[in-house]
Amino acid sequence: MSYVPIGPIHPGLKEPLRIKLKTEGERVVDAEVDLGYFYRGAEQLARGKPWQKVAYLAERVCGICSDAHPHTLIEGLERIVDCEPPLRAQFSRVIMGELNRIHSHLIANAIWFLAVEHETLGIYNLNTREKVMDLLEMISGNRVLYSWNIVGGVRMDFKESHLKKILDNLAEVESEVYRYRKMFKTGALLGLRSKDIGKMTKEEAIEVRAVGPTARGSGIKFDWRTKHPTYVDHFDFKPIWRDECDNYARVMMRFDEILESIKIVKKAVDELPDGPIRKECEIPRGSVDYRYEAPRGELAYIFETAKHGIIKEITIRTPTIMNLEACVRYMFKDSPTIADAIAIYQTIDPCIACTERVVIVDENGNRQDFRGVHTVLRNLKPFKSKKKDR
Amino acid sequence: MIKEFIRKRSIHVCLVCTGGCNGCDIEVAALLSQRYDLEQYGIYYHNNPRESDALLVTGTVAKQWQEKLVEFYNKVPEPKAVVAIGACALSGGIFQQESDKVGAPVSDVIPVDAEVPGCPPRPAEIAIAVLKYVPPTLASYRRKI
Ligand code: SF4
Repeated sequence: MSYVPIGPIHPGLKEPLRIKLKTEGERVVDAEVDLGYFYRGAEQLARGKPWQKVAYLAERVCGICSDAHPHTLIEGLERIVDCEPPLRAQFSRVIMGELNRIHSHLIANAIWFLAVEHETLGIYNLNTREKVMDLLEMISGNRVLYSWNIVGGVRMDFKESHLKKILDNLAEVESEVYRYRKMFKTGALLGLRSKDIGKMTKEEAIEVRAVGPTARGSGIKFDWRTKHPTYVDHFDFKPIWRDECDNYARVMMRFDEILESIKIVKKAVDELPDGPIRKECEIPRGSVDYRYEAPRGELAYIFETAKHGIIKEITIRTPTIMNLEACVRYMFKDSPTIADAIAIYQTIDPCIACTERVVIVDENGNRQDFRGVHTVLRNLKPFKSKKKDR
Repeated sequence: MIKEFIRKRSIHVCLVCTGGCNGCDIEVAALLSQRYDLEQYGIYYHNNPRESDALLVTGTVAKQWQEKLVEFYNKVPEPKAVVAIGACALSGGIFQQESDKVGAPVSDVIPVDAEVPGCPPRPAEIAIAVLKYVPPTLASYRRKI
């Protein structure tokens, strides 16, 4: 029995975190993670600020899903006033959200391929991602942080040339992703590194509440997009899932989701309605619990506002919190080698920047109550919607 | 003499993220793609401090990093250069509002040779900064002693 510490800075990791593996020879029997290298206190900063400022802060919780965070916050705020943005704005949000998902999944797969030392596919994936980044930059003006959503609509409108470029670039991305998917499916060495490694059964996934592609790779057929009003009304979206429960399923899931997202964007561009992109909304006092499917899984914003949209309490529940638990508890269990442990860790697409939290403990060891969620949930009124109930 | 000449043409970099939003880190990762292709300029990207010539530091220096970053810096063999990337590393950026959480700027903790502003800076800007400022810093090492 010996311990292998990995991190905080390690060639296999892209973000600082410490993994302590308990090993018997090469076989991993147990693992422990040690977080805290990324803590900035975003929730605490958000308290007492007007929503206009919090939207920028939410964007900077995570730079990879930087559309999902403000998207959730803003749609949550709209939910308080029951203000429905114009149809063109809703479609623009879908386009931006899906482009963000495509680039996030491409970089996740690229990093997995680099972690198993298959540099060809890793670099190919990164290169394809640049095409999506070009689109994002063309539409919003920035490669990473878009500031796209605003209460009542979106900030900017598409031009005709933008829509044409989106379709052109996505056609290229689609054919390339099909090619990489085939390379991954038929590659013998990749199969050895991915099939039957990092197993997590459906029951285990339910027990640790795994979310997103990690859960859907284990056969859970759930996606928050099936409950999102725009997706329900205008896109007949079906969640994708696989039942292999291993690394192969999770990497394949991401490729399939990219293809599905491309379909959604194409449909949205074709049917993009005319009209205004923004309408006026005033945010009153209220509280809300809103969830959205970020690239990594369920993202929840639970918050309470005071008059004029000042954020009183806020709690952000990000997907990696649960997925990291799933990874440490179940996936590492039968990892045959230490190299595979790093590959398994990369398949859950961890985002440590989202995950950092603190618990305040006084000198007697008593935990201070974590105040955010409890106060908001106590005041939460059931939400009545004209649309399908969420 | 030869060593100095060669060293300027093969720079090993180590990326240290000290708690930003990942935006700057993925822009460094984007440099690996064929479009920018870092390796054609002789920059090799890996995360091993003991073999690297240059540290790329991103992010607000979070509590855990305030001592560790100095330890880290000391592990990098001489001559070495430090490039601070992004608004977070230069000033704390958006997270500087209640300043007890963050130890930014990075230059308070370790000496910094080049700074790349932006939130996040474009990959090309990062590559230019590394190519322009790291080789002279490495070359000036012998003159110092
Ligand atoms: S400078 Fe901006 S993009 Fe870079 S880590 Fe900080 S908040 Fe993120």
